[in-house]
Amino acid sequence: MSDPVLSPEAAAAPSAAPTSAVPTQRRRQVPETAALVVVLLALGIFFSITSEFFLNYDNFVNILTAAAVTGIIAAPATMLLIAGQFDLSVGSAAAFCGAVLASLALHNDIYYSVVIAVLAGIGIGLLNGFLVTMIGINALITTLGTLAVFRGLTQVLTDGQTLSIEQFSWATSRPLFDIPVPVFMFAGIALLFWFMSGYTVFGRSMYAIGANAAAARLNGIRSKRVIWIGFVLSGLCIAIGGLILASQLGAASPQAATGLELSVVTAVILGGASLAGGRGTIGGTMLGLLIIGTLNNGLVLLNVSSFWQTVAQGALLIFAVSFDQLRIRLTSN
Amino acid sequence: MPEPETAAEPFRLQARAIRKSFGGVEVLHGVDLDAAGGSVLALLGENGAGKSTLVRILAGDHAPDSGEIVAGGEAHAALDPVTARALGVRMIFQELSDAPALTVAENISLGRWPGGRGLVRWKQVRERAVRALDELGVDIDPGRPVAELRIGERQAVEIARAISDRARCLILDEPTAALSGQEVERLFAAVRRLRERGTALIYITHRLDEVVEIADRVQVLRDGAVVLERPVPGTSRADLVTAMVGREVGEVTRPKAHETDTAAAPRLAFEGAACEGAFTGVDLEVRPGEVVALYGKLGSGTAEVAETAFGLRSLTAGTCRLRGDEHAPRAPHQAIAAGVGLVPADRQREGTFMVRSVAENISVPSWTRLSRSGLLGRRQEARAYRRWHDELSIRSRNDPEQLISTLSGGNQQKVVLGRWLERESDVLLLIEPTRGVDVGARMEIYREIRKLAGKGMGVLVATSDYEEVVQLADRAAVMARGKIVGVLGGDEITTERLAELAGG
Repeated sequence: MSDPVLSPEAAAAPSAAPTSAVPTQRRRQVPETAALVVVLLALGIFFSITSEFFLNYDNFVNILTAAAVTGIIAAPATMLLIAGQFDLSVGSAAAFCGAVLASLALHNDIYYSVVIAVLAGIGIGLLNGFLVTMIGINALITTLGTLAVFRGLTQVLTDGQTLSIEQFSWATSRPLFDIPVPVFMFAGIALLFWFMSGYTVFGRSMYAIGANAAAARLNGIRSKRVIWIGFVLSGLCIAIGGLILASQLGAASPQAATGLELSVVTAVILGGASLAGGRGTIGGTMLGLLIIGTLNNGLVLLNVSSFWQTVAQGALLIFAVSFDQLRIRLTSN
Repeated sequence: MPEPETAAEPFRLQARAIRKSFGGVEVLHGVDLDAAGGSVLALLGENGAGKSTLVRILAGDHAPDSGEIVAGGEAHAALDPVTARALGVRMIFQELSDAPALTVAENISLGRWPGGRGLVRWKQVRERAVRALDELGVDIDPGRPVAELRIGERQAVEIARAISDRARCLILDEPTAALSGQEVERLFAAVRRLRERGTALIYITHRLDEVVEIADRVQVLRDGAVVLERPVPGTSRADLVTAMVGREVGEVTRPKAHETDTAAAPRLAFEGAACEGAFTGVDLEVRPGEVVALYGKLGSGTAEVAETAFGLRSLTAGTCRLRGDEHAPRAPHQAIAAGVGLVPADRQREGTFMVRSVAENISVPSWTRLSRSGLLGRRQEARAYRRWHDELSIRSRNDPEQLISTLSGGNQQKVVLGRWLERESDVLLLIEPTRGVDVGARMEIYREIRKLAGKGMGVLVATSDYEEVVQLADRAAVMARGKIVGVLGGDEITTERLAELAGG
């Protein structure tokens, strides 16, 4: 039975203790991130032993390349989850941006098409943000709805066909150290969001809203505006992700980025962002992302069927969420 | 006893040598309790004395670390909620646990639907409700949705639910906190009826006059131990206060009179202010350096007055002025920008960011000022925290990164107060500032509030605790049913005068 709201007295009783001897966040957070590093290393060692193709530079670049789009979208998703918000529409929205680009590029200048595709992403963010903050619908439901809407619109736009895009292969070029462009973009965006979440009033407000929405309001934080901006940033990053996918493929597929929301949410929660809000770091998400990337890569190298990869990813999400629940229970007691 | 219960032996609920710890801190040190059928036992104690923990153990919500519970002659090492209920032990919480969308009758039968094979017999549901409400002597239509009832009526429905479920011991946790004078009378009448029926009643309160009026025996807890247990007749208020607080006190002491500049222009002023459904015709001024209390029972409108000055609700008539200018904030961020701060009543739910650090908690409303063009480092926050750590004597490790949840309630509240110092607000609104804070810390918080006023802040305290008013206020306006019914100044402020004015 869950405790009904405690009377002030009962709530105060346990905390009436002296302030010593209680573990601090810092002491607790170090092992948390450390645990992720340990898991990552363990996976690395396991696959190095079981597959002769795992341990080499090209394969690492492959892992990073495969993780780039997920990572670019997971960065704003981390900030949203810190504020207690979700964006499930990421996959279909990215596909939609790709489809906008491809359908426009058939008859228009490519730069013009890119601009419109990016605006489409921002528009999706504005829409999600509007529905969540102004209409006040739960973010999970809102973005589940927009997930379906934009997947459907992508199919309408492409008529269910894969549309090829000419002269748009920039994302496959490797300007430095044989590393493709999207990996650099991923690194840049991760860095930007790391800075934003830790060192700007905007980012810190996200933590405050997630930690206690009512208190955030009473401290003068304009929560609706902050969350709305968060969704718009998510939309922008989704557009970037969609453009990278379209470029890598040389085409816009109506099925592009299906299930991307699963990878994003898994990475974010695995990385330590709490479903209860108010906690999480971009660095943690990046570690979570690398774990998923390494797992997928290793399973491919071991010739495990992609069906089983989906199973593994779902299981990983459930594991991450259970771990989070355990942590919430430990810290709230 | 006028009418012995049908059973030969009246029901008796006893706790023996109960010990209980939370997080390595023992909060009950071997406590006994004896509640006999047909009598009312008042359980008295300050916040944090262990009352709630003790009764929760009796109701099966917590398991004691050691000791035993004897109910109806059977000894148990611990009760769980189902067993406690089967034994007839029921608790009525301060926060009502009813289902507002359902009718009175449905609430009374909630979870015990008459009928069989998964079907509900609605006629029996209604009859059962009528019987229970009659027994309690209250007149409520069983067909009405609970959401439409007044708070006292909803409480009566909960009690009716308990007695229709054959409750033999009823635990009431500060049942009058939210009731009007009339509703209190009705509650007391119901309690007396239950006593005559042979129910054992445990009545938790911190109001001394209620003990005298309703209880047969009184037991005082202090710091997790029983410090007094005796029949009410022959026990003076002074005895009870001394037992609760643990030292000789002249009940509550007034601070030394403060010279406030009565000629100074008011910081905050309400003129004929009204907010529909909450209060009307409020005229009130708060001058710099002055602590003004707005006293009234819960629901009398005191908190709402404070909330209008913070943009949480808007006036429907009259004006609010800040430093002479019209002040009509539409949201808290506007009020904060105008120099107003608010300390909410429910610290956990609205005050603190529990999973965040103390430095962050103290600097949130000042973020925009501490930052340079939107950029904000931990160092600025840490500096903000260190500025107030000593000044407010916050007991912590003096580590800005320490989680606020690891501080005691009183120290958390100091951090919340410190926010508005850091923000340099010049009007501070406090709603029930010491709810859930233990006695010692309460005195410290009063001192800090005093200090803030000393710096020239205008302080408005909305509270339902008259002792707080006596200990804190330079001036006190008393509210009842949304209207100011009297204003007291200086030494006129006594618990008796306040209680009398707030009356019914």
